[in-house]
Amino acid sequence: MDCKQATEMMVARLDGHLDDGSTVLLEAHIGACCSCQAEWRSLQRLDDLLTTAPMVRSPVRLRVQVMTRLQRREQARRAIVGSTTLALGTITLMLLLLAPVLLDLLRMVGIAPTLLSAGPETVVQLLALMRTMGRALLVLLETFVTPLAALSLCSLALALALSRLWTGAVSRLRTES
Amino acid sequence: MITETEWIQQARSGDHVAFGRLVQAYQTPVYNLTYRMLGNAAEAEEAAQEAFLRAYTHLRSYDPQRPFRSWLMAIASHYCIDQLRRRRLTWLSFEDEIAVPENPVEGGLVQLASDLPNPESVVTQQERAVQIQTLLSTLSPVDRAAVTLLYWYDYSYEEIAETLDLTVSAVKSRLYRARRDLAKLLEEDGENGLQTSD
Repeated sequence: MDCKQATEMMVARLDGHLDDGSTVLLEAHIGACCSCQAEWRSLQRLDDLLTTAPMVRSPVRLRVQVMTRLQRREQARRAIVGSTTLALGTITLMLLLLAPVLLDLLRMVGIAPTLLSAGPETVVQLLALMRTMGRALLVLLETFVTPLAALSLCSLALALALSRLWTGAVSRLRTES
Repeated sequence: MITETEWIQQARSGDHVAFGRLVQAYQTPVYNLTYRMLGNAAEAEEAAQEAFLRAYTHLRSYDPQRPFRSWLMAIASHYCIDQLRRRRLTWLSFEDEIAVPENPVEGGLVQLASDLPNPESVVTQQERAVQIQTLLSTLSPVDRAAVTLLYWYDYSYEEIAETLDLTVSAVKSRLYRARRDLAKLLEEDGENGLQTSD
């Protein structure tokens, strides 16, 4: 047995993984080899130091800190989900309202080459027509979208307030239980 | 009486109170691991919190066939290994900084989970605590995790391998090398003093 093998066996012995036969061989080597004797002593000293070291106790506040962070993260997640849903709903509503106008504009893009070849006069008339349509669109927006937006905002505020009350009540019930 | 399995089930369905009970049950083992790994009370506290938050996020992927403690320890170990690697990268760019493990007792930052019977014993415990942290800080992050799991959690080679995503032979060789180096350092301690690697 060489000294490297002996060191491997020393570590195995510390972990209780060395059979009786190998233990006898190791002890014989340690008895005859001064450097292995010194190494065995220092390994035992290390093992004793680490084996007897107690667990470090966690701070009492750790649980509260974890639960606070968890709650904040859940609130942030709920806020992101809520605002994403709201944004998607608003976009859908806008698309529904503006769909007819957008479709007309798309049709006009399709006839653009014909209009251009018809000469500058037609283009001027077309621009005038678009200006008129723009004004009409503004009137439409003022008439329908603004009250709808106000209504949507009011509904959203109400929904948020109700969900806040609901989650508050549920967490209170959980804490009490 | 509610068992741990039930707490886990309830926590999986979003019950914070049940998860709080799991945190309470495992806060000392998790904190001890993060402290032994990072050697700093503030960082250990932050890492322990993060480990629990990650556990909550990934609770659905937890396999109930596996002990919850092992799963939690694996999360905490990997988080600490990542932190130590990042720390090493940062220090490589600021070479003047020297990692000196914090004295775990001065300022009452860390409390040992054993009763301290008298002042003499307290001093001895303090010296040993500093010595241990100084020794651990000389090891690479993965070796540090392996040694910690072996000595403070009585993990088998197989459990350490599973926790750290290593093979059993890799664990054996890491533990062999780590302890051989630590034993040498321990011998030198008192003559030259210990120097930390990160």
